[in-house]
Amino acid sequence: MNKLRTALIVYRKEIVDALRDRRTLLTVLISSVLMGPAVLVAISALVATFESRAELREVYVVGIEHAPSLRNFLERQTYTVKAAPGDFEAQLRNAKLSDPVVVIPKDFEAALLRGDAPIVEVVIDSANQRSQAGARRIEGLLNGFGRERAALTLALRGVAVDLLEPLQVEDRDLASTQTRATQITGMLPYFVMMAVLYGALNAALDTTAGERERGSLEPLLTNPLDRWVLVLGKWAAVASVGMLIAVLSSLSFLPGQWVLRSDTLAAMFQYGLREASMFLVVLLPFAAAVSAVLMAVAIRCKSFKEAQASATVVMLAASLLPLINVFSLGSESPWYLWVPALAQNVLMTHVLKGEPLGAAQIAVPLLVCVLLTALGVWFVARSLRSAAVR
Amino acid sequence: MIRIEHLAKQFRTAGAAKRGFGGLVRLGRSGAARIVHAVRDVSFDALDGRITGLLGPNGAGKTTTLRMLAGLITPDAGHVSVDGIDVVAQPGAALGRMGVLSDARGLYPRLTARENIVYYGRLQGMPADAANVRAEQLAQMLEMKALLDRRADGFSQGERMKTALARALVHDPANIVLDEPTNGLDVLATRALRDSLRWLRSPQGGSKCIVFSTHIMQEVERLCDGVVVVSHGRTVAGGTVDELLAQSGQTDFEEAFVRLAFSADELAHHEVAGPL
Repeated sequence: MNKLRTALIVYRKEIVDALRDRRTLLTVLISSVLMGPAVLVAISALVATFESRAELREVYVVGIEHAPSLRNFLERQTYTVKAAPGDFEAQLRNAKLSDPVVVIPKDFEAALLRGDAPIVEVVIDSANQRSQAGARRIEGLLNGFGRERAALTLALRGVAVDLLEPLQVEDRDLASTQTRATQITGMLPYFVMMAVLYGALNAALDTTAGERERGSLEPLLTNPLDRWVLVLGKWAAVASVGMLIAVLSSLSFLPGQWVLRSDTLAAMFQYGLREASMFLVVLLPFAAAVSAVLMAVAIRCKSFKEAQASATVVMLAASLLPLINVFSLGSESPWYLWVPALAQNVLMTHVLKGEPLGAAQIAVPLLVCVLLTALGVWFVARSLRSAAVR
Repeated sequence: MIRIEHLAKQFRTAGAAKRGFGGLVRLGRSGAARIVHAVRDVSFDALDGRITGLLGPNGAGKTTTLRMLAGLITPDAGHVSVDGIDVVAQPGAALGRMGVLSDARGLYPRLTARENIVYYGRLQGMPADAANVRAEQLAQMLEMKALLDRRADGFSQGERMKTALARALVHDPANIVLDEPTNGLDVLATRALRDSLRWLRSPQGGSKCIVFSTHIMQEVERLCDGVVVVSHGRTVAGGTVDELLAQSGQTDFEEAFVRLAFSADELAHHEVAGPL
């Protein structure tokens, strides 16, 4: 097949050209390969601080001297009672202090004896997420103290403690450990997609607007080859670069797993070769479509710079659409699968949750990607000649 | 041999739709549509073993004519044929018989001169070995052997021009089309180019049919076997330099060209406006 061979010649030249653009390529490669481990390390470091806080079993209290009974209770629970710093409110606000602070009123013991239910404050700053995370633990602790007091009082009067709890409340969490992990690792698909987008961006712009700017498009078209053959070769080269980035960034999470500092997270984040290959099933068609779309946008632009400005629209759409999935908090609509970028995010989130992908779930975004690719390639081929001479 | 008959092309400019987002979206129109007749009626024959100069002032329609010849623009009217092959009907076959050095002569900066040349040879359907051998031959002829394995990034105008010319000639075409080839070249590079073209015209060089456009009189006087004067999109005169001198009754070729290319009105207006 002669045309195929010509397309291959174009492809090979474009690949060589793209690979020689060392600086750009290196930046993209390094950022995409290191990104996986970097994101994981950041997340695990965050989780590890939560875990170590919980393990430390410390409570910051103001006015513990007014409540020896509470101190006794806390110490029996093997908690260490620490005096909160004087300016704890300011420290909580500017996130210097990452634990909630318990404030005990002066007449705590007296009120307790009178049965006046003294007010104990748990001070947090909801903008200070770490202080908020610890609040539930502290409230549970204080409620435990309350329950113990009540039980003792009732027992002294010969009343069964069970009367206090006419109903039992138990949590039953349906989420698997992996599903829970996606609350934390939910951003990963987003990062991978960005890597693919930025990987394809430079190559796509260089073979279209860049070629126009250099004045090499017009002479190129004085060769006897079909425009669509030329565009096919160019597109294949750009898509290959995008796909290479997709492969590298998907695989980068494999070693990324080993550096997880949090044991809980390592247990929850199941990412093996199977997950990596499912990521690729989703990402490769996306890389192909994105390449074609970026080329279509850039071919109308006279210079690389102009093309970059125009491509911003595509980049913005591709970075905002997945947020629909991030913010809809797990409730998906069927139309999500028809929206490029959003569909990929949805599917990769499923993979991270450890859920199998159905044939339809893969087919719909694939179809959309194939259509986008065909449309993009057709548009570039159509615009090529008028772009060359203007 | 190249034959151009009653070629015409008009463009719509200024009033063209204003587009945004990479031309995908129409943002509205600016100004009224204006039709520019780039080429109204250009005809000439360029024979094998001869250098035909397309001489005309800036904006006369030379580049547009050559772009139609190279199949980059479809003519509104008229015929263009190369060795009897219609460029519009059979662009592939016609382009295979032509080597075109267009107005834009951008190279791939990250490829070496050799790779730039061989790439075009491959696109013309040559095997890799043959294209490579041919690149060496052309480098010998154009005295650019030292450039061959250097990356095109950082080439001087003359070096770029030589590479672009070698690229256009890689498939040893019978017809050579050059758009203002001496633009931006210094004296030595211009001389070298002239020598190359003379050689290509000679029987040893393959008796090529060479067409080149220029607005420089000396180029035409020194090099061309035939001259076609184009002005305002029309062929206004044709023949050898001597024939054109006789036709206009002048002894100086520049004077002859001015008389042929511009109307009496235009000349009068220009003289009133001031010298030069």
